[in-house]
Amino acid sequence: MVMTIDWTIISEYFPIFMKGLQTTLLISVISIALGFVGGILIGMCRISRNPLVYGASTVYVEAFRGTPLLIQIFLIYLGLPQIGIYVDSPLVAGLIALSLNSAAYQSEIFRGGVQSISVGQIEAARSLGLTYNQALFNVVIPQALRNALPPYTNEFITMIKDSSLVMTIGVLELTLRGKLISATTGQSIPVLLFVAILYFVMTFSTSRILRYVERRFAIPGMMGSDSK
Amino acid sequence: MTEPILEIIDLKKSFGDNHVLRGISMKVMPKEVITIIGPSGSGKSTLLRCMNLLNQPDSGKVIFLGHNITDQDIDINAVRTQMNMVFQCFNLFMHLTAKRNVAVALIKVKKMKKAEAEGIALKALEQVGLRDKADAFPGELSGGQQQRVAIARALAMQPKVILFDEPTSALDPELIGEVLDVMKKLAMSGMTMVVVTHEMGFAREMADKVIFMDQGVIAEEGTAEEIFVNPKNPRTKVFLKRILKEVDAMDPGIPSDFVPNGDSVQWGKP
Repeated sequence: MVMTIDWTIISEYFPIFMKGLQTTLLISVISIALGFVGGILIGMCRISRNPLVYGASTVYVEAFRGTPLLIQIFLIYLGLPQIGIYVDSPLVAGLIALSLNSAAYQSEIFRGGVQSISVGQIEAARSLGLTYNQALFNVVIPQALRNALPPYTNEFITMIKDSSLVMTIGVLELTLRGKLISATTGQSIPVLLFVAILYFVMTFSTSRILRYVERRFAIPGMMGSDSK
Repeated sequence: MTEPILEIIDLKKSFGDNHVLRGISMKVMPKEVITIIGPSGSGKSTLLRCMNLLNQPDSGKVIFLGHNITDQDIDINAVRTQMNMVFQCFNLFMHLTAKRNVAVALIKVKKMKKAEAEGIALKALEQVGLRDKADAFPGELSGGQQQRVAIARALAMQPKVILFDEPTSALDPELIGEVLDVMKKLAMSGMTMVVVTHEMGFAREMADKVIFMDQGVIAEEGTAEEIFVNPKNPRTKVFLKRILKEVDAMDPGIPSDFVPNGDSVQWGKP
């Protein structure tokens, strides 16, 4: 059945699109933030010399990186109740799954950043009397995070797009809202294109904002700073 | 009798099967400048790094101001605030300005207020002639300037001794002089210094005591005159001859028939 494309559908359902957008933004921001903090913790475990800490964190990263995010979402929403852990809201289940998954990826990004810093930086700090933790937080991490900004940008963009997977457990985020509108009205092209545009606006803004942060915190005299 | 600042007793260190230090004993007295010379792989840098426990010795004692710092109950961080190190590759904190590089340990370790620490940092930079570079980042400085900032960073801690690990080896030849000049000023101001170096001119001119290391042991030690003019150990002689040839190859101004024996030694930086 051919149907004329009706773009007015977008203004008609605009408030509902915005509700979806709001939910998607909320899920993305929270899971990126939790993934960031979790990623630093797991990343530190991954550079630990304690075999137990290292082993456990490695298993975590490989497990979450090596299985589909969709399965992880299902396991947390549908699987946990079977062993008596009830996650009532699909939104919370989705947030947990996305955060755990992103923490695994972000831990590798963080680890890469830390390992890009020469051991001489720590030695210099330690030889001045700084403790290991002081050296880590004042010398290593500030430089590691700067070096890791490009892969972090990738991961944040991926998270925004992958947040759409939680629609499968019924979270009314942007993709599910779009799908419902498209199903009710039959106007798939304008609705889905508009949803795609909204995702693009989010990912493109993310990339621009982080590019700005990158420039703002670039170290003068280093590669990538403005002095060429 | 004055107490030594630092005393090493029968220090041993291996990396796997590689016995890098095979029983080193030495003393560093206050205001003394000791240079450690020797071929690559003789254990010079490892010895230095065992002094502040950047490398943990396998056995032996490192006695700093009367305390054996290899003891478990010693706070090594407190020791290191008084025994600083200058590295071959400078190791300035790349994300901090010269001033902040010098100030950071004062703030974090000595718990100074930021303003006070930065005041001391500026004074230390002044001493190495780089006050005008206080707000420059390491990446904006030449190698020689970076090493001078590194020296200021050590200096600002008011250490009892500064360890120099081949401070000029990573520098372009034309930048070596400015770093050596700062080190000479420091030596003359009474700073206690232990310097691992390939700069024989500096070793000869500034050292109160020269230690020649070879294959993990101190093969010979004595005053600069004793080591450079009248070396007794044949290995010292071979080493000095070889080093001299290299210097000779780089600088045709040195007579090629020079042998490190006799009073006519004229090479090295004046």
